[in-house]
Amino acid sequence: MKKFVFITLLWVSVIWSFNGFSQQSISTGSAEIIILHTNDMHSKIDNMAKLAYLSDSLRKLHPYVFLVAAGDDFTGNPIVDMLEDKGNPMINLMNLCGFNATAIGNHEFDMGQELLNKRMDQARFPFISCNIKVEDAILKQPKPYVLLNAGKDITIALLGATELNDKGIPDTHPSKLTGLTFEKPVAKMKAFAWLKEKYGILIGLTHLGVETDVLLADSMPQLDLIIGGHSHTLIEKPMIRNSVLIVQAGANLKYVGKTTLVVEKGKVKERRDEIIPMKALTRSNPGIQTMIDQYNQNEAFSKMMGIAEESLEGYDQLGSLMTDALTSRLHVDFAFQNMGGIRVYSIPKGNITLKDIYQLDPFNNQVVVFRMNAAEIRSLICNAFNIEKEIDLQVSGMTYTVTIDTNGRCIKVEMADMKGHALDPGRDYTVAMNSYMSESYRFDHHDPGTATSVTTAQAVIDYLNEVKKVNYKGVKRVKVTH
Amino acid sequence: MKIFINDREIEIFRGATVLEAIHRYSERACRMVLNGTLLVIDRFGNLTEADGELTEGQKIHLKKK
Repeated sequence: MKKFVFITLLWVSVIWSFNGFSQQSISTGSAEIIILHTNDMHSKIDNMAKLAYLSDSLRKLHPYVFLVAAGDDFTGNPIVDMLEDKGNPMINLMNLCGFNATAIGNHEFDMGQELLNKRMDQARFPFISCNIKVEDAILKQPKPYVLLNAGKDITIALLGATELNDKGIPDTHPSKLTGLTFEKPVAKMKAFAWLKEKYGILIGLTHLGVETDVLLADSMPQLDLIIGGHSHTLIEKPMIRNSVLIVQAGANLKYVGKTTLVVEKGKVKERRDEIIPMKALTRSNPGIQTMIDQYNQNEAFSKMMGIAEESLEGYDQLGSLMTDALTSRLHVDFAFQNMGGIRVYSIPKGNITLKDIYQLDPFNNQVVVFRMNAAEIRSLICNAFNIEKEIDLQVSGMTYTVTIDTNGRCIKVEMADMKGHALDPGRDYTVAMNSYMSESYRFDHHDPGTATSVTTAQAVIDYLNEVKKVNYKGVKRVKVTH
Repeated sequence: MKIFINDREIEIFRGATVLEAIHRYSERACRMVLNGTLLVIDRFGNLTEADGELTEGQKIHLKKK
């Protein structure tokens, strides 16, 4: 009962300050503060009961324990991501663990803005980011920061930020970002440096990657601490740059970081961080473990979809399976699959489960079909190759060979159908690809394309249901030559 | 985007993971990372998980375990 009252008071304190009702001012008190930090949990729930036990145990010993996540809470486990109410188990468990805040990572957008709003409403903690601007969007405007109170005399400002790629948007499907604008994270965080003056303690809860965290530290010495994410870096020896401590705890909840701040007269006088491997923890919260077991025992995900007669190894074989599924399901001439959309590197021999398919293809992108002539298909293959100067597209319905020049750029593409006949330059072919490719790749096409209601993962499910067994040993449909 | 593995420039798509970049660098290295015989280290000496996401200009090194 005492524990319940204490945790409730802690929650009230955090929520109270988040809503801006309290009268925080610059910190003047002294205390030892513990911040447990995770990042890039990616829907991995198996260690949540251990995390709950650890955080509860620390709360019994210390008056000021906070638990935070540096973004990418979602995407990476079909048990969580592929439910109709996507992400619900993750937030449910994070609530039970007593999280105080999470940064918004790029993969938070994967589920779409409407569902992200639902998850933010479900969470008993704020999702924070200072560089997301909601204009004409479905997403509710996230708070840039949250204030954490450690007693009456210490207030910690926790400032969030979200990764942007070189196009100035988070790495997610562009269609998920409609109506949102993004500001450069380091510059935007610097605009909040006043939080340090106002409250005395300022922490960055960033989903930027360690390289950007270092740049941030170099230009923002007001930060006492950066709790980072995105790069899945295991910082076992805490980094100090420009007097800023930078920490990060790997990924997938295999580790948790424990930062201790010794605060004297409102200033951080000492900072320590240690990484705790979850496998080293032997105790867990039994009630939460039961819930996790129930989530994991969802029979739908262990259902056999087909059989791999031989293990599926590497992008050629897995990409061939995925594209064969598209040509079969959509009755098109050819299908392409980008390497970035193949999210596992092998599937073992034996039963292929629904979970395997969602791990292979977690993005739930729908299939788009184009009518394209041979020259247009060639432009797709060549442009995709030249982005990376390497084979990017796996294919079904044809084989192709890319010829490169001395700079490694594609100068010619020879294509042949599965009977070895060259493509007819005078006819249109139907070509399927995922909607990420159709939106993000540059290629010539006179047909604007037609979206189908079929997702790429569903196509694989349907295909396996039809053929029952697959064997892609030795299959290689794409080549490069000088 | 461009990243560097063992000081070799690698061009890779936005949003790529460390493992996808290593695959581009060397299929053999990719297998070694997967079976745990090769570790991925960032330019600060930290261990990086193979499913980590890359940022423009990032430098990583592969080191035998």
